[in-house]
Amino acid sequence: MKTRSAIARGALLAYLVLGAACASLSSPAGSASRPATTPPPAPSTSGDTRPVPGGDPSATVPPGSPQPPRSEPPGRDVPSARPQSDASGASAALLEQSRAQRAAGSLPAARASLERALRLDPNNAVLWLELGELELQTGNSAQAATMARKAQTLAGRDRRLTDRAEQLLRAAE
Amino acid sequence: MARRSSPKKPTKASRIRSLVLRLTAVAFMLAISYGGYLAWAATSEFEGRRWDIPAQVYAAPLELYTGRALSADDLVAELKRLGYREDPRLIGPGTYRVGLGRLEVATRGFSFAGDVEPEQLVAITFVGGRIAALRDSSGGRAAIVRLNPLLIGSLFPSHGEDRLIVAPDEIPPLLTDTLKAVEDRRFDSHFGIDPIAVMRALFVNVSSGEIREGASTLTQQLVRSYFLTNTRSGFAAWWRKIREAFMAVALELRYSKSEILHAYVNEVYLGQDGARAIHGFGLASQFYFGKPLGELELHELAMLVAEVRGPTYYDPRRHADRALERRNFVLQRMSDEGLANNDEVQKAAEQQLGLVGNERRGRAHSAFLGLVRRQLSSDYARDDLERTGLVVMSTLDPAVQAAAERGLDQGIAGLGKRAEKFEGAIVVTSPHTGEVKALVGGRDASYEGFNRALDARRPIGSLIKPAVYLAALESGRYSLASVIDDAPIVVELDKKRTWTPSNFDNMAHGLVPMVRALAESYNMATVRLGLDVGLEPIAGTLQRLGLAEKPTLYPSMLLGALALTPIEVAQIYNTLANGGFRVPLRAVRSVVGEDGELLQRYEIEIAQAADAGAVYALNQALVQVMERGTGRTVRQALPEDIVVAGKTGTSDDLRDSWFAGFTNTHLIVAWVGADDNSPTGLTGSSGAGKIWAGVTAALEPNSYSAPAPDGVDETWIDYLTGAPMAARCPDAIAVPVPETDYYPHVFGCNGETGIGARIRSWLDSNRR
Repeated sequence: MKTRSAIARGALLAYLVLGAACASLSSPAGSASRPATTPPPAPSTSGDTRPVPGGDPSATVPPGSPQPPRSEPPGRDVPSARPQSDASGASAALLEQSRAQRAAGSLPAARASLERALRLDPNNAVLWLELGELELQTGNSAQAATMARKAQTLAGRDRRLTDRAEQLLRAAE
Repeated sequence: MARRSSPKKPTKASRIRSLVLRLTAVAFMLAISYGGYLAWAATSEFEGRRWDIPAQVYAAPLELYTGRALSADDLVAELKRLGYREDPRLIGPGTYRVGLGRLEVATRGFSFAGDVEPEQLVAITFVGGRIAALRDSSGGRAAIVRLNPLLIGSLFPSHGEDRLIVAPDEIPPLLTDTLKAVEDRRFDSHFGIDPIAVMRALFVNVSSGEIREGASTLTQQLVRSYFLTNTRSGFAAWWRKIREAFMAVALELRYSKSEILHAYVNEVYLGQDGARAIHGFGLASQFYFGKPLGELELHELAMLVAEVRGPTYYDPRRHADRALERRNFVLQRMSDEGLANNDEVQKAAEQQLGLVGNERRGRAHSAFLGLVRRQLSSDYARDDLERTGLVVMSTLDPAVQAAAERGLDQGIAGLGKRAEKFEGAIVVTSPHTGEVKALVGGRDASYEGFNRALDARRPIGSLIKPAVYLAALESGRYSLASVIDDAPIVVELDKKRTWTPSNFDNMAHGLVPMVRALAESYNMATVRLGLDVGLEPIAGTLQRLGLAEKPTLYPSMLLGALALTPIEVAQIYNTLANGGFRVPLRAVRSVVGEDGELLQRYEIEIAQAADAGAVYALNQALVQVMERGTGRTVRQALPEDIVVAGKTGTSDDLRDSWFAGFTNTHLIVAWVGADDNSPTGLTGSSGAGKIWAGVTAALEPNSYSAPAPDGVDETWIDYLTGAPMAARCPDAIAVPVPETDYYPHVFGCNGETGIGARIRSWLDSNRR
């Protein structure tokens, strides 16, 4: 009896630890139980958008916990870590290039590099923020404010990003 | 006067002599002034043509980076479009080598207004249809590499002359040497005409009674191409010959041999492509072989020189045998003159013509070029576009364009017997940037006439409904969970007339949640909702989304009596796909002047057109269209794990079949109908929807998704009735609702509420 309860406690503990880990990994866009909140490039991360009849995302499970198993094929409803864009490496390189160009005072080139990055990685809030900051620097505060709002819609619950967007918005308005 | 005063009467003979003298003088004067005129005409044409270059339009360069969805086959297809050739030695820019799951490419590099992409050797590894690694020649990781952009065509004027100017240093010496060897052996020594050749030709021509053998020097050919007359018999032909000879001499007196040769290489007529005349070796090289002049191989270069003699007679696409024979004659001449060694010539003569496919000929992109012209015409005069040698970087993605053209072809072909009279149009955009990736204006993509994507204005039917529902959501009085009545309705238009809209299935569905009314495209519910929201706010929403002109405010507008073109529909839906941010659709990224300086950049410009929460909710309803509603069958043609949003549209009597829908990376609008506006028997999903699905599937779809904006919550409801429902129940769906709205938690499926549920909802209501 004793061993059985120990196992049960162990399982519970493992469950909680795993749950916490998954919660901390889950996207800044919010909990796994919120449909369509993760901007997923990979199809497998997006299954949540479609509610599955017969599924049971019970309301008693606290937000952020791993979903209970469903009768769906694996790979559809597994909450994933923060999704990486297909183009994240390329867009990071272009962002770096844009910053260097901006530092060198070559604003049109910096802008062109950012737009190039945005074409590959349009859901990346950072790129929109940088573009907005560039707009602000060139005196186009209306565009800067809109870019900040656009970034807000993509930032989800990533505080670092939402703060930066808020800052840009204030500076622009 | 002096003669009159002469006392001596002139003799008859002296009178005749003086008359002859005077007539000769007059004739001489006339000849001199006519000659002067000819010389002037020739030189001014020579000067003018140097700069008479239509704007050349390039596609977006293909970006290669780790993680990109691109298979080795896709890349090889793109390399072939760009005229790269497979070469195990990777001998220079424009070649590639195929390995197992891996490609090595010697890229060409390009430079565009200070934006430089160096030529380099890259090794690309593929795993599962994606680029797994990208390495440069030193073996280090390369973050991102661009291929040179594809030349897709030019904005040539209505007289149809198109050319792509090559600079003197871009002309391979072998080309000019071969031209001389085949067309004008004494070019370097004659003065515009070649008396020896003339004598020989004269003999042949006189004995045959007409002009058979040309003795024209390159200079004379140049003049002829300036003035485009080609009479072959009778006096006119002889007179033309004399004029040409005279003008040729005038040009030789004025310009150097190398200037004349350069002009010739850029001027000579080398092919015909519909209404478009291919002038110059630079464009001909692209037209026939899809690559720059400097990369031509021996047999290709010889074929171009062969075309000089008569691009119609020796048309390699229509008369391959003639072209091949003439090409091998040119090769033989090269060998005779010692321009190439015998072995090389033998090898070259065994080669096939090696033409690029039709899609590379530039004409295929005429619909897209129409959009480029339209966008540029607001900033540039027609003459600037057609004559000043602008270079235009466009947004076209050649792979997407090819997929869209294929999708329309196969889609319409799959519509059955009556498909022959159907026409269609497709617009593909990238929602976040507003870049137009592809445009198809009809089934024959090469046809330069009616561009349906830009000009076919057709009633959009139910495609208008999202605007009605968005206006309702924005009013704050409705959410997707709101229940509206799909019951018969009679709308009073004025005192005498009424309008009684009905549903497609002629049934009334009673009380339904808004999400279902939109998903199933219920007309009566929509009219009731629209009248409650008001026509004016709906028209305002449409305009904010991107409709250029305010629509007429008839109730029938609510069901899409509004006629729009596919590109206008794309502008509206692009705003939805972009989360409510309107970005003007663009076909051009930037324009560079003839001297390489940047004239204009069309930058991303966005405006917030609608409330983010309302658009988020609307888009979730558009996902339900595909999951449960009228787009269900369209959705089934796509992989199971892909989430897409979309809407069907069908006009009265099934005349127009529309579908607009999006993933995260592409918005695609498709239209199918008949040019004579006769009924097609197709609904939005059975016609345009099929085409839409075909194109979407071909584009490596990336699920639609968006993070929920602040202030948005979600609740589970019964899709059928809108009643609150536990998530586990059949037909329960989650819909986004404003955080401020109250929705009870329910733990049962049929409205049954256990004691726990009641406690829970009591707690909930107190918490709020």
